[in-house]
Amino acid sequence: MAQAPVFHPDHHWSNFHQTYSQVQQGTWDLFFPASSADGKTVLADLRETTQQMHGIIAQAKQAAIPLRGVGSRWSLSAAPATTGWTINTNRLRGRMRIDPALVDPGYTGTADKRNNLFLFQCGNTVADVNKVLESPALQRSLHTSGAANGQTIVGATATGTHGSALTFGALHDHIVGLHLVAPDDKHYWIERASYPVMTPAWVNSLGATLKRADDDLFNAAVVSMGAFGLIESVLIETTPRYLLNCRSGRAPLDEDLWAAIGALDFSRHSFFGGVAPYFFQAVINPATDEVLLNANYKIACPPAYQPQYGLTQDPDKIGPGFDSLSTVGFILDRFPGLIPRFSKLAADSLFDTKQRIGTPGEIYGFKAPQLHVASGSIAVALPDARMAVETLITLYRDIGPVPLVFGCRYVRKSPALLAFNRFPVGLMVSIDGIDSSLSRAFFAAAAARIEAAGLAFTQHWGKTNAYTPARVLAAYKGNLQKWKDARRQVLRTIADRQIFNNDYIAQRGLAD
Amino acid sequence: MISKPWRLLAILPLTTACMQYLVQPPAPSIAGSPRAVKAQSYLGSELQKPPYVLASDCRNGEQLGRVLVKRNFGQGLISWLTLGMVAPATVVYECANAGDPGLGDGR
Repeated sequence: MAQAPVFHPDHHWSNFHQTYSQVQQGTWDLFFPASSADGKTVLADLRETTQQMHGIIAQAKQAAIPLRGVGSRWSLSAAPATTGWTINTNRLRGRMRIDPALVDPGYTGTADKRNNLFLFQCGNTVADVNKVLESPALQRSLHTSGAANGQTIVGATATGTHGSALTFGALHDHIVGLHLVAPDDKHYWIERASYPVMTPAWVNSLGATLKRADDDLFNAAVVSMGAFGLIESVLIETTPRYLLNCRSGRAPLDEDLWAAIGALDFSRHSFFGGVAPYFFQAVINPATDEVLLNANYKIACPPAYQPQYGLTQDPDKIGPGFDSLSTVGFILDRFPGLIPRFSKLAADSLFDTKQRIGTPGEIYGFKAPQLHVASGSIAVALPDARMAVETLITLYRDIGPVPLVFGCRYVRKSPALLAFNRFPVGLMVSIDGIDSSLSRAFFAAAAARIEAAGLAFTQHWGKTNAYTPARVLAAYKGNLQKWKDARRQVLRTIADRQIFNNDYIAQRGLAD
Repeated sequence: MISKPWRLLAILPLTTACMQYLVQPPAPSIAGSPRAVKAQSYLGSELQKPPYVLASDCRNGEQLGRVLVKRNFGQGLISWLTLGMVAPATVVYECANAGDPGLGDGR
């Protein structure tokens, strides 16, 4: 039996990196029981969590209090923020490796995928997922994940966190089924009609209603910023475990490098040795025109390989403190002449350029925590990549030095209706650095400048962005109405939808 | 008019009142939300209020996942003005998940 939910009347809420805060009415903590304690199955424990979520949703609906499921508070945007109640999900860490006998006969994935479907409850972090999958016993991996691993799997995917691999989509593109908890004791197991995965009997054993009449509902709910209800669990496909051989270097931004950055042509620059990597990143520092390069190559992982995930440190080394960036941001706002030096420091500390070999979970693993980082991302289609980067460099030079650098990464298109990765091959320009008024001014101006250049673009939902209703419509066109229609399938009344509205989605034209 | 380097040097001493120490395990697994507790140390810690910070939110076998001890400018100023006889600080703690749940098979 899980412990009953606990309510904390916390009125102050802030995100992990403390770049914004929110006045709210309180936080609910939910707990997941140790299954072995009372002999219950994980499935039974999941059903109990669902009941507890329904209890809180019912109270919220009765009192007309908005509600938001929140995991690690990792988003730099206000997507998870609510003026009402936060449901803290980071103790909900149930996980299952699905018995292939429970998979629908209509499943069209490979036998390898069928045998390696995993269900993760919402509070599992990306670190948890990697640790489970990459164990010598299971020998599986994610195709990609974000650079950090502290986000919960649902928090990351619901905001479109992408990761990067030249042949794959985003983190949410691993998901093939999801369990959505809605008001009035309703909960749904949602899949694509074109890609059935679990048998109706299994969905029945979960106590949920199966929804797979079309693809749109799944494609809407998978990246929905918490607006569809509480996503309790996600079902993911995995790939055989692999290692990444990570190479890094520095180079000037010349035409040979532009061929790689702007067209993924790896034949011209000597850094790549003519071989296309699995993952490629170019971090451009506009203050110096120096580019940090990462090229990660996929190699086989020995069966006995035991990943080591923990942070290590040299106790004699001096480095930036936990909250050093807030002071640095304050100083740089007043002394912008220091920015080029700090940009280099920021690039070196934010982007890992060590030569190493490891599993994805090790490479994109635990990092020294830092408050007041700044990060926003803009995605464009690969043919527009060079123009987009040059437009941002011009903006940087127009408004003066800014403590930001541009990380260029690449992601394939997602079928999710509001996916950040909307282009067949997209360049994701991750604009990262130190939170300051200069950085915020840059983020506000960047979208307008890309827009003025006539480029189609999207912005990362979970990072600082300058989405307006008009920009969301321009980015997603007909998908926007499909997303809203799908929301009405699971939140039928205005009262239901208002529970899961917040200022963030309202300001972007997504609430109704 | 004070030149910019001197203005910068004038700002930097203000940071001396502040400090933060973060303690965390190599691979944290955070449970719940951060909890902040105001603490006062008197006479070089001969007396403290509270006598120790109880991490009361850590339930069901949860241990501490992360502890941040910090002092802002105001707290540092009090400590400086009282020659350390009153030394306020803020302790922020987060709990750690109590182990990993088992891996079910879908049933």
